Amino acid sequence: MTLLRLITWPYVRRHKLRTVLTTVGIVLGVAVFIGMHTANQSVLYAFYKTVDRIAGKAELQITAGEGGFPEAVLERVQGMPEVRVAVPVIEAPVDTGLKGEGNLLILAVDMTGDRSLRDYDLESGDDAVIDDPLVFLAQPDSLMVTREFAERTGISIGTKVPMRTMDGEKQFTVRGIMKSGGLTQAFGGNLAVMDIYAAQMVFGRGRTFDRVDLALNPGVSLAQGRAAIEQALGPGFQVEPPATRGQQIDSVIRVYSFTANINSAFALFIGMFIIYNSFSIAVAQRRREIGILRALGASRGQIRSLFLIESGLSGLVGSVVGLGCGVLLSRGLAVYISGLIAGVYGIAERTTEVARDPTLMIFGLMMGVVTSVVAGFIPARNAARVDPIQALQKGRGQKVTSGENRIRRIAALVLGVASAGLLTFGQGSMAVFYVGFAMAVVAMLLLSPTGALWLTRLLRPVLKWLRPVEGALAADSLIQSPRRTSATVTALMLSLALVVSLGGIATATVGSVMDWTTAALNPDLFVTASQSLTERNFRFPAALGDRLAVIEGVDLVQRVRSHRMFYKGTPVMLVAVEAKSLGDRARRPPVEGPPEMYELAAEGKGVILSDNFARLQGLHYRDVMDLPTPSGVRKVPIVGLVVDWSDQQGAILMDRANYVKWWSDDTVNVFRIYVKQGVAPMDVRQRIIDRFAGTQRLFVLTNREVKAWISGLTEQWLGLAYAQIAIAVLVAILGIVNTLTVSIIDRRRELGVLQAVGGLRNQIRHTIWMEAITIGVVGLALGFAVGSVTLHYILEMAKRDLTGMALPYTFPWKIAAWLVPLILGAAFVAALWPAESAVRGSLVEALEYE
Amino acid sequence: MIILSGVSKTFDGKRKVTALDHLDLKIERGDMVSIVGASGSGKSTLLNLIGALDRPSAGWIDVDGERLDGLTDDGLTKVRRDKIGFIFQFFNLLPTLNCLENVALPLHLRGWPRKKAGDRARELLDLVQLGKRLDHVPDELSGGERQRVAIARALAIFPPILLADEPTGNLDSSTGAEILKLVQDLHARLNATVLIVTHDQQVARSCARTVTLRDGRIVGDERR
Repeated sequence: MTLLRLITWPYVRRHKLRTVLTTVGIVLGVAVFIGMHTANQSVLYAFYKTVDRIAGKAELQITAGEGGFPEAVLERVQGMPEVRVAVPVIEAPVDTGLKGEGNLLILAVDMTGDRSLRDYDLESGDDAVIDDPLVFLAQPDSLMVTREFAERTGISIGTKVPMRTMDGEKQFTVRGIMKSGGLTQAFGGNLAVMDIYAAQMVFGRGRTFDRVDLALNPGVSLAQGRAAIEQALGPGFQVEPPATRGQQIDSVIRVYSFTANINSAFALFIGMFIIYNSFSIAVAQRRREIGILRALGASRGQIRSLFLIESGLSGLVGSVVGLGCGVLLSRGLAVYISGLIAGVYGIAERTTEVARDPTLMIFGLMMGVVTSVVAGFIPARNAARVDPIQALQKGRGQKVTSGENRIRRIAALVLGVASAGLLTFGQGSMAVFYVGFAMAVVAMLLLSPTGALWLTRLLRPVLKWLRPVEGALAADSLIQSPRRTSATVTALMLSLALVVSLGGIATATVGSVMDWTTAALNPDLFVTASQSLTERNFRFPAALGDRLAVIEGVDLVQRVRSHRMFYKGTPVMLVAVEAKSLGDRARRPPVEGPPEMYELAAEGKGVILSDNFARLQGLHYRDVMDLPTPSGVRKVPIVGLVVDWSDQQGAILMDRANYVKWWSDDTVNVFRIYVKQGVAPMDVRQRIIDRFAGTQRLFVLTNREVKAWISGLTEQWLGLAYAQIAIAVLVAILGIVNTLTVSIIDRRRELGVLQAVGGLRNQIRHTIWMEAITIGVVGLALGFAVGSVTLHYILEMAKRDLTGMALPYTFPWKIAAWLVPLILGAAFVAALWPAESAVRGSLVEALEYE
Repeated sequence: MIILSGVSKTFDGKRKVTALDHLDLKIERGDMVSIVGASGSGKSTLLNLIGALDRPSAGWIDVDGERLDGLTDDGLTKVRRDKIGFIFQFFNLLPTLNCLENVALPLHLRGWPRKKAGDRARELLDLVQLGKRLDHVPDELSGGERQRVAIARALAIFPPILLADEPTGNLDSSTGAEILKLVQDLHARLNATVLIVTHDQQVARSCARTVTLRDGRIVGDERR
């Protein structure tokens, strides 16, 4: 502690800017990690809370994906000896249309039995409504809202609330306002209760329920009850305690969590380089001080500990600030993620509070400290090895690395070859793949000093041509200090490699989605029950298709029913459509299987899978899959695989006839409409709207609107990738600013000598600027090169373990083109202040600078 | 000729320190002058002012017919690059450059072609007897050798004025004597004005004139 107070503290005070810049690397890494994870947890926490509050006293909940199930299921469950009470539920968020209120979660229940599971504590209204549920049932336009919602929106008892039902706009009457607490806090208080049979009409659910909530008889354990119900209903149903339902959303946003982890890991990794570089320079600068300490009796261990504690403290301070920034960041991110999962996945969720998980906070803190200590290890070891005699001789402290390290290059070569070998021959094994990836990254890191040197040598004539004196000085300064140059370039290279990888994935995703959209979503019009194609709460009766087909100008109507279901615990989108018709109008080339797969599916001979789902599940053409349906498990052959972006987790495309039979559900989410040749789609659209105005809830979207909407959704999903790219760019810029500032401060004496022997101010300025820009150019070149390799691995990683999507390798040229001026500009700006400080400071002091 | 008139230099820190106090001094062209005095007497400050590395707080300095007080920073640099060669106690060689590059550096800064600058640097390194160590970086040289490189660099443009701050202060006595002999030799051959700041009486005695400083004032001016 004494050494810290006497040696470290004065140094920190003297180099405040450097200390701040060094710590910022850790701040950013920890902030990204904590921000992303806290936002994730907040979303999950809100979802769990909503599930928990709505569940009331329910011990188990029965679902069948999003598809729902026939009313008969309820009767079967109610008849089981293990079940004390079982009640049906329909749960659907609807847009309130009120500014700032967003969605209102409609909880539709059967009042006759539901009060044994949930408390509806009314503070005002007609008590008779709830005292006698039959009155509630007799008035199917009844609504109960929470006090919070009523206060915010000015609703009171008797207020008429318009709602666009499947039968057109209907007025609902608020007949009860629930007191605060428990149930009413679900979904941030935006909750309304209505009768379930009314909800079936409102949402076009036919005679189906979304869920059954139940309580078991005394003496029946949860496990026993669950097993009995699972056995009775079969594998088409999920029977779970409410607490585990959040796992569904967890698995849905798994891809997002994974990318967040990669990003924070990169940020910390780059932070590690920044710390390593700063501490290396600090050790070089403090050689004399170290020499004095050693001469006064400090042991090597004490010196090593001093520097390790310094790096640990730096990490601790960075982590604490990072935690604070992360929590602040998480507020915005949680809102963004809520919007994302609602828009992209169609899962309504409302995050009102930020979760603060102490374990996560401690982990973030530890991560920052450990990263910092690891980064400080080599400089600390070098400090401990300082020879006190040499260090005390002024002027001898300028030892410089002796150029290239042959061992490093050989190791890089060996690792590179091994990595390529593993990639080529170890395709099957996940462990082999990831070891190969790690080897490739290490090989590239080892090669980066050589690459930086080689490129700078290559650039020397160009720099010299630009400015003969300054150009040569700048290039020579970089060439002759390979360690300093390579540390700066490596930090930049890593950030840019991350940008290229993320940008490559984003570019490939956009390209692939657009290809799919163009080929698969080719109808002229889409008739939907909601404004969003991912929202599936409202459903059409199948008969509407016949009414649409006879509208003038309509050539063909395809009925689509889609909902998310679970296959072996993994969410997947089930898309039921007339397969023959789909094949006729929007045939996609098979990834596996025969071209006539659509006809085979239409004949009921099997299903078509999206290639990503098949890949993740290890399924192939001709395999037979066990498809869980409410009517039991169906053994279904796979007749082909196609690229499909219906859902990120993948899709099962099946013929509608089989779906209707197996799910007892003939409702429709979307009608795909092709108009006759020569007919303007907009005319047909108007005819449809005119035909159903006021009597049917429907939205008619043109092909262009749907494509624009999908493009918007893709952008929304990629918004996260873009945010990560922005963070990576920020880290890159931070790296340049840090290393350049530190490096130029470190060279104060050298720059002083240059001036002393006749260097003009502008010459010094230009030299520093050119050095900075050269570092930018070299970092960009190496970053693009390394990024083009890591992109390959990350695409492979996404294919194997994340989405299963086989995205084409697409180098993000557009992003790269943006990066060039951005990074060079940042390098230049980063060099401005150090250059000015170098030329404006006292020359005498600079010459004395140690 | 170098003229200092009423030159003072104060440093404003927590306490105001007067390093030079109303100093008047005239040094003729071709003179070899030693400046002696105890630590803190203002020797190095005086050298820095004459060398246009720093500006006086009061008074004026004329170097070879050019008044320094009216010059901008770039103007001072031009004085340094055209008229002055520096030899520092701690050599101040650039650690990343080899001997040849260090010596050629002032020439590169003046925009000399690479070959011409290299030829001159080689010539000078031969002159200081380091012609065989062109590719060595400072860390691979002894203290005496480093000082020779620093001298060669100071002579790169054949400056009319050579300023040396404790040139032998960091060397053993025999190496110090060699360096001194080298400086005397170069002085004789190039007819440059040489100012040497030193603690070493032997070095001081080898100069034709010795100026003694105490508390920022001249307290002795001896000609031999």
